[in-house]
Amino acid sequence: MTETADLGGRAPRSRNRAIAAKHLAIFLALIVSWEIACRFGWLDPLFFPYPSAILVGFWRLYVSQGNIWPHLGLTMAEVLAGFAAGSALGIGLAICVGMVDRLRRYLKPYVIVLEATPRIAIGPVIIAAFGFGWTSKTAIVMLVCFFAPFVNTLNGMVGVEAEKLSMFRSMGANKVQTFTKLLLPSALPEISAGLRLAMASALGGALVAEFIASNAGLGVLITQYTGTLNMTSAFVCVLTLSALGYFIFRGMEALDRIVVFWSDRDRIDAAGRRRKAAWRARMGDRA
Amino acid sequence: MSHGRESSGTAVITANAVRKTFGGGSVVAVEDADFTVRKGEFISLVGPSGCGKSTLLRMVAGLLERSSGVLQVHDRDVHGPSRSVAMMFQKPTLLDWRTSIENVLLPTEIAGRVGDDDRRKAMELLDLTGLRDFAFSFPSQLSGGMQQRVALARLLQTGADILLLDEPFGALDEFTREHLNVELMRIVAEVDATTLFVTHNIGEAIYLADRVFVMTPRPGRIAGIVEVPFERPRAPSLQQGAEFNSLVSDVRKIFEGAK
Repeated sequence: MTETADLGGRAPRSRNRAIAAKHLAIFLALIVSWEIACRFGWLDPLFFPYPSAILVGFWRLYVSQGNIWPHLGLTMAEVLAGFAAGSALGIGLAICVGMVDRLRRYLKPYVIVLEATPRIAIGPVIIAAFGFGWTSKTAIVMLVCFFAPFVNTLNGMVGVEAEKLSMFRSMGANKVQTFTKLLLPSALPEISAGLRLAMASALGGALVAEFIASNAGLGVLITQYTGTLNMTSAFVCVLTLSALGYFIFRGMEALDRIVVFWSDRDRIDAAGRRRKAAWRARMGDRA
Repeated sequence: MSHGRESSGTAVITANAVRKTFGGGSVVAVEDADFTVRKGEFISLVGPSGCGKSTLLRMVAGLLERSSGVLQVHDRDVHGPSRSVAMMFQKPTLLDWRTSIENVLLPTEIAGRVGDDDRRKAMELLDLTGLRDFAFSFPSQLSGGMQQRVALARLLQTGADILLLDEPFGALDEFTREHLNVELMRIVAEVDATTLFVTHNIGEAIYLADRVFVMTPRPGRIAGIVEVPFERPRAPSLQQGAEFNSLVSDVRKIFEGAK
């Protein structure tokens, strides 16, 4: 099996570089056509500023004035804290509910009502309760991030094959063993997918919360800049958010591949080799 | 009886008027099962789907409580799973995030701490089931037949002396199944286990067993027991002989008589 492992390996480095070069070319072509469209007056630079101007805007906001940093930091802090708290609460509660059948029956209607309620509608209520600062934003992000991990964790645990549960029972496994060795690992792919969904909505949740009422954060910055028709700086903020969203997405993807390694061919081969080596180190070469 | 190994042994499973009903008694899944299984015996439970053979097996495994009757394993009443009984299912039920060897070690982990002796034993069992070269492969890297071999090794790792197999190779293709049946006979003879094997294939049931319990549905009951006199080890060609065919028709007659 180790011999065939390399056949399915990832693309060689030179091919990766060629793909990256093509991406870069397409990106540059887009930027150049945007610039040209502005210069010829096909796009109104008042609302769609020149890419070159946006580039200068990046320099201003990040370096010469540097005024984006505190806002960026605050929004990121709200996103990360809200995501961590919301998903931890979602997963934790789902585990409790998944382990206790009775709890599932009683909690189900509340969960459905919570799902049916547009989370943003609760936004103003939370701001009224927690004020204009970061606590209310974090609370809103938390609310946005709660549901997907909760539902996915529960589905993952409930979806374990009946025969596997019977097998654990026939081996005399207790509840803790059944949870740690069967239910939790079985649910990991779904939990990971739930976390991805939560993270994807976390950024949006924080921004909308900042739009509603706030005194700092990227959402506030965007409202201020568009209010004064400083579109160049507004675009810098929006593009910053695009980049953030992209890196968060890729980060979550990478995390998924590590946590759910057994669904990835390359990783499964590597894991098999590592475990074989560990076994040999322990048991001697007769492995 | 020309097969001496099992007839002289002591009774390890005893069932007396074992009955199982569902839905508050309205559906009778198993009715008045009476039988004795002796040490080292290989018993096939054969019958159509819904005849209660899996239900009976699950009661012996302690996964299902009987509604009435006496059911004993090693002279003790069955109430819940026991160390001396292990069960294998139609699906391999392997854990995808564990290598073959780690899957085999699962019963040891659940029973307590895993020592180097357990690890050696697990590797020997993978050797016995012909999977030593795949000890560090994950289930998704194995074929269906290989996955069931891992499940078989895991079954043996429990150290149970009574093995319950619920159509273990039913989901595999004909060729793989036949091959695994031969392997299974070799392996249970080697570990000297008592085996209850559920199947709906009459030929398979006879080929493997010392005795065949023929079960009929509605209500599920053991309608007859057919003794299989062939010596072991048994070659697959045995299944073409006249004597084998007459046993097949014996089983069929029991089914027809029950209609």
